[in-house]
Amino acid sequence: MLDWLKNINKDYPEFWKDYLSKFDKKSNRYVAFSLETTGLNPRKDVVLSIGAIGIINDQVIVGDVFEIAIPQYKYLHDNGLNHDFGMESLQPKLAEPAAIENFIKFIDNAVLVGHRTYFDVEMLNELLEKLGCGRLRNEALDIEIMYKKLHDISDKNFALDELAAHYKLPTTEHVSTTDDAYNIALMFLKLKSKLGLR
Amino acid sequence: MSNAIAQRIADFLKDYEPFNFLAYDDLVKIAITVRVHNLEKNKTLFQINDALHDSFYVVSSGIVNLMVVSDADEMLLNKCHTGDIFGLRPFFAKNNYQMTAKAKDDCIVYAIPIATFKPYVSQNQEVLDFLLESFATNSKNQADKQAKGLLSDTVAFNENQSDMLYFQTLSYNRNPLKVSATTTIRDVAQLMTDNLLDSALITDQACPIGIVTDKDFRAKVATGRIPVLSLIPTLMNAPVITVTENISVAEAQLVMLKHGVTHLCVTLDGTDKSEVKGIISEHDLVVAQANNPGVLLKEIKKSNSAKELKIVRDKLYEIIQSSLNRTIPLTHINSIAGEITLAIVKRAVELAILDLGSPPARYAWLCIGSQGRKEQLLLTDQDSILIFEDVPADKYRNTKDYFIRLAKKATGTLEKVGYKMCSQNHMASNMLWCKSLTDWVKQYNNWMNTPGEKSNEISSVFFDYEMAIGEQKLEDALTDVIFKNAKNNVLFFDYLGNDALRKPPALTFFKKFNVEEEGTFKGKFDIKNRGILPLVDAARLLVISNSIKGINSTYHRYKHLAIIDPKHAEIYVNCAEAFLELSKFRTLEGLKNDDDGQYIDLEEMSKVDKEKLKHALQPMRELEELIKDNYQLTQFS
Repeated sequence: MLDWLKNINKDYPEFWKDYLSKFDKKSNRYVAFSLETTGLNPRKDVVLSIGAIGIINDQVIVGDVFEIAIPQYKYLHDNGLNHDFGMESLQPKLAEPAAIENFIKFIDNAVLVGHRTYFDVEMLNELLEKLGCGRLRNEALDIEIMYKKLHDISDKNFALDELAAHYKLPTTEHVSTTDDAYNIALMFLKLKSKLGLR
Repeated sequence: MSNAIAQRIADFLKDYEPFNFLAYDDLVKIAITVRVHNLEKNKTLFQINDALHDSFYVVSSGIVNLMVVSDADEMLLNKCHTGDIFGLRPFFAKNNYQMTAKAKDDCIVYAIPIATFKPYVSQNQEVLDFLLESFATNSKNQADKQAKGLLSDTVAFNENQSDMLYFQTLSYNRNPLKVSATTTIRDVAQLMTDNLLDSALITDQACPIGIVTDKDFRAKVATGRIPVLSLIPTLMNAPVITVTENISVAEAQLVMLKHGVTHLCVTLDGTDKSEVKGIISEHDLVVAQANNPGVLLKEIKKSNSAKELKIVRDKLYEIIQSSLNRTIPLTHINSIAGEITLAIVKRAVELAILDLGSPPARYAWLCIGSQGRKEQLLLTDQDSILIFEDVPADKYRNTKDYFIRLAKKATGTLEKVGYKMCSQNHMASNMLWCKSLTDWVKQYNNWMNTPGEKSNEISSVFFDYEMAIGEQKLEDALTDVIFKNAKNNVLFFDYLGNDALRKPPALTFFKKFNVEEEGTFKGKFDIKNRGILPLVDAARLLVISNSIKGINSTYHRYKHLAIIDPKHAEIYVNCAEAFLELSKFRTLEGLKNDDDGQYIDLEEMSKVDKEKLKHALQPMRELEELIKDNYQLTQFS
């Protein structure tokens, strides 16, 4: 409650104010998303691309897709990595601030669905902080946790590929974050109905 | 904005009708509007009388069943596989859905909004044609299914297809043999023989005054009651039972039953005072019920390609399914299916012969294993052997070469029909199982007199066989060898007995099902190896040791054993019934999953069925004791 009071005084960017104002209502939309990052440290590593797809009424809306590649020239250069990836990617490219802004606009107040979502959200929060925004407000679900819950497994972790193989989802050769997001969306629907969530 | 998912879906769609008629860019545009549904097993997408959706559907993975519900019974109309479209009704009609679409297993389907697709339909004749055809075609029509690739329809059937046929008008002979009353009996008989007809109408100025059929010649002429040279009116039946044109199958059948006749005369106004239009025989009625085994046999004989044979096989599948639904005894279904399968094999061999030229020696093509026992309801793998008569040594190589090529062609055809190649290669196309009679005799002698020795372990499938085509004498010769060797052959029965009892037990000590513990079929019950095969193997052992020839089916074997061995009759009868019950379970499972039904999913079974299944597994234990008592099973255990 007090957080919210603090927010009022701060001078956020416009898009963030917009974003915050949408949380008055609960959304019936889910957004399955996937990030590609250079590593696992939210502080040091950077996001290379984001893929996301919307789900409404248990249907994956193909038209409702978000995909962006962030050519992190500086980071890659500093760390002596080649940036073929950034160049080769078919996804539209945007610089980091613009990419994040668009992504925030895309997700709205939807419930986020991902694989190891906690880390992805942390990564995004780090980026948002750089832009002088607060933390993400969206509810977030993790298909790995859902899967473990369904099968009552707690001592084992499942990579996205393993989950996809378990549900016999088609995998394409070049996997982009968009493809991952699509697979996450399908698995989410399966898990959702199997777990009997509403 | 580019959209990787839309492209992915467009890539998928472009391989299937009607989307392959459209440009790729258009497909991407369509794909962007697609919504992806995930359907859990048994989830209903839409059902009868639901308001129309704003989209139609394409199956991306899994199988969707389309069905109608009549009398609280779900009847399957069509199965939609990957790439099939369904739910086209909103395109063409305004009323509610006329059928139910239900996921058979976990499915992913693409919903394509009608609004986005409609422009492409109106611009593109091919697409429109395809949709119309899909919408209108009767899904039961296997031939069309074949021709058009994959069809799904939205037409409703309130009646079972075969019942509908029942009320169709039937086709009959419109050019009956008409003779005048001044013809002699002998001349009429000659005319009927020449025209291959079983009846003749006696007419007076085109009106029927009497009828003679084969029966009359047998009953009245051949017995000497009426001299063969007298005039036909002395023989004929009058008055003739007449009916109008366009009579339905059901009606014709009723009229025949009512009057106790086998032929009906069709006249212009349905009385015997008008012109003759044709004649309906009992045979026409049989033929009119299209999915009729007799007709299928005829079709097989006319088939000229694996494709045509496959259509017949698909129809057989329907017969089996509907027969099971109508609780027709499984033994009947078995023998019908057996005959048809045999005919298919025969035709496959004939086709190969047509291709390769006539064989250089006499031969016999034997189906072995389940088909040899005529217990093959599902598309299981094919097993066969080929025997050719002994030829001089200098011709041996060419002869063998010919038969192997023949067998390769025939088994190839059968594979296309849907019978998988045998995993152990027990097929005539294998060098080992295509040889001369002498070699076969040697082979069987080896198997039976020194079982278990040498590396070539005998496979018991070789002891159930049924000739599909060829020289009967060769099969008889083989049978003689087997029974000659079987006499007092303790070692051989020891081997067979052990083979039969070695199968893993079906129930655990606590009367629970022994399910698969690992692998793809984990948690399922292997009804083939744990239930059916022990019974089959035991029956074979008992039959050979009792020198019972010519009875191939397991059910009849037990029935026969019960007669010759009254002391244990009860056990045998129980086994016979158990075998039928187990086969039925397997067949139903196989039909449900489109496979050979080897593994049963216990979780899907009702409690009653489970008890039934358990009950059916009991008799084997008693039989086991019987076998252990009768044969000394020491050598190989």
